[in-house]
Amino acid sequence: MRPVARSAIATGLVLLFSQSGAAAGPDQGAQLAALCASCHRLDGGGTGIPSIIGLGEERLTNALLAYRASESPNHIMHVIALSLSDEEIASVARYVAAQGSNPR
Amino acid sequence: MKSWTRREFGRLTGAALLTALNQPKARGQAKARVVVIGGGIGGATVARYLAASATAIEVTLVEPRQSYATCFFSNLYLAGLRPFESLSHGYEALAKQNGIIVVHESAAAIHPAAKTVALNNGSKLSYDRLVVAPGIAFRDRALEGYDEAAMEIMPHAWNAGQQTRLLRQQLESMEDGGLFVLVAPPNPFRCPPAPYERASLVASYFQRRKPKAKILILDAKDTFNAQDLFQDAWNRHYPGMIEWLPAQFTGGVTAVDAKTRSVITAGATFKAAVANVIPAQMAGRLAQQAGLANRSGWCPVDPVTFESALQPGVHLVGDAIIGGDMPKSAFCANSQAKACAFAIAADLTGSVRFPAHLFNTCYTYLAPDDAFSNAISFKPVDGKLKSVISFVSKVEESSEVRRQAARAAEGWYDAFTHDVFG
Repeated sequence: MRPVARSAIATGLVLLFSQSGAAAGPDQGAQLAALCASCHRLDGGGTGIPSIIGLGEERLTNALLAYRASESPNHIMHVIALSLSDEEIASVARYVAAQGSNPR
Repeated sequence: MKSWTRREFGRLTGAALLTALNQPKARGQAKARVVVIGGGIGGATVARYLAASATAIEVTLVEPRQSYATCFFSNLYLAGLRPFESLSHGYEALAKQNGIIVVHESAAAIHPAAKTVALNNGSKLSYDRLVVAPGIAFRDRALEGYDEAAMEIMPHAWNAGQQTRLLRQQLESMEDGGLFVLVAPPNPFRCPPAPYERASLVASYFQRRKPKAKILILDAKDTFNAQDLFQDAWNRHYPGMIEWLPAQFTGGVTAVDAKTRSVITAGATFKAAVANVIPAQMAGRLAQQAGLANRSGWCPVDPVTFESALQPGVHLVGDAIIGGDMPKSAFCANSQAKACAFAIAADLTGSVRFPAHLFNTCYTYLAPDDAFSNAISFKPVDGKLKSVISFVSKVEESSEVRRQAARAAEGWYDAFTHDVFG
């Protein structure tokens, strides 16, 4: 594998290319996941902020719904989740969950 | 080399696709060109997200420096809690991972009619869209006597780099019992809680190394960001060490005298052992020269696309814009940059545009193991960015909650700089 390709796999941002949307631009899930990437590393690394990679779609959806319902335990996630519609929550959960199954 | 069909594109996944696009033939095809001026948080984020989200766009980032030092977290360096090197981020990953063309030159002028950018080395870049992320500049003659020579004696340390190192050296060599004077700027300015975080973390350093030292904050304002949280923390962690004087008590800072390292207000002169003078601010010089700023000194933009209200085809993000309720913070710059990148990608490639989400999140240190956080969401309303929902930590929170926030802040810095610089 060429070095360019290898380093590209290591970055969460390459995830913006979805298989179906490569030529048409990032889909809604990818654009919403860009919000997550301001605090959560999408390569699954990092400490101090919980990883959102490898959790599965249902768990991500339920977590976002719970954050939206209550200021506790995290007012940052409460504000983020409150700005998302049901459709957007489904879309970002589907997208982020799909990243967990990608080989890295 | 063969030509790629859309179907073949579709079968390739991220990294392979990126490699394919980096082949000379593909690059030689008619791609839309976006030039981004300024490799700070806003500019680097726009470049990275444009390059990653629209393969039909060639992105050039113009930034004279080889690396960027973050102003956020530099207060930890000032307090001796973080090496300076940990604040520094290079542009190599943006070039390697995302195929961005990084040009280490200064932009000399913008010619919106011709859609070109003139560089200091005499060369010219053509663009279909231009993004300008010039950050802040200091207002001329805002404080009498505070010129470039005075900055070398009484540093601002409000652009991270040599100025930050200078202030750290001065704090280290200051004798115990000395007076550290911090001049806090008028609104609006880069990072509203930061002067007070700086006072807090310098106090933590003094407490460890120079317990008889004092800190005096001479403010241009009568109130400040998260004042209750800061004043509660100052009483708990550093009783008697920090004094804050609002403008209504002093009449405001009018001048400095670098020779005697003094700060002069309407009614008194304060002689400092170390002085940190943070002057009034405006959009960066290039924005002023290119006619992107209005009489306020800041740049009006469309709150959805971040296109300049004064120059069509030119977009602006970050500290330089009139952000409505959005504060001038790295997080806001990053958030605006993503919205701007997706809007430009949609315009240039015809991809679907989804409603943008804009946020600010700040972690602010009150002491090394005591941090608070806030979060705000924003929406464009009647041409302005309005805050919609806002939550901030409370004074009565437990020390365990604050310790967790300090740990989260470290993780945030790592993830955030990874998001911006790769």
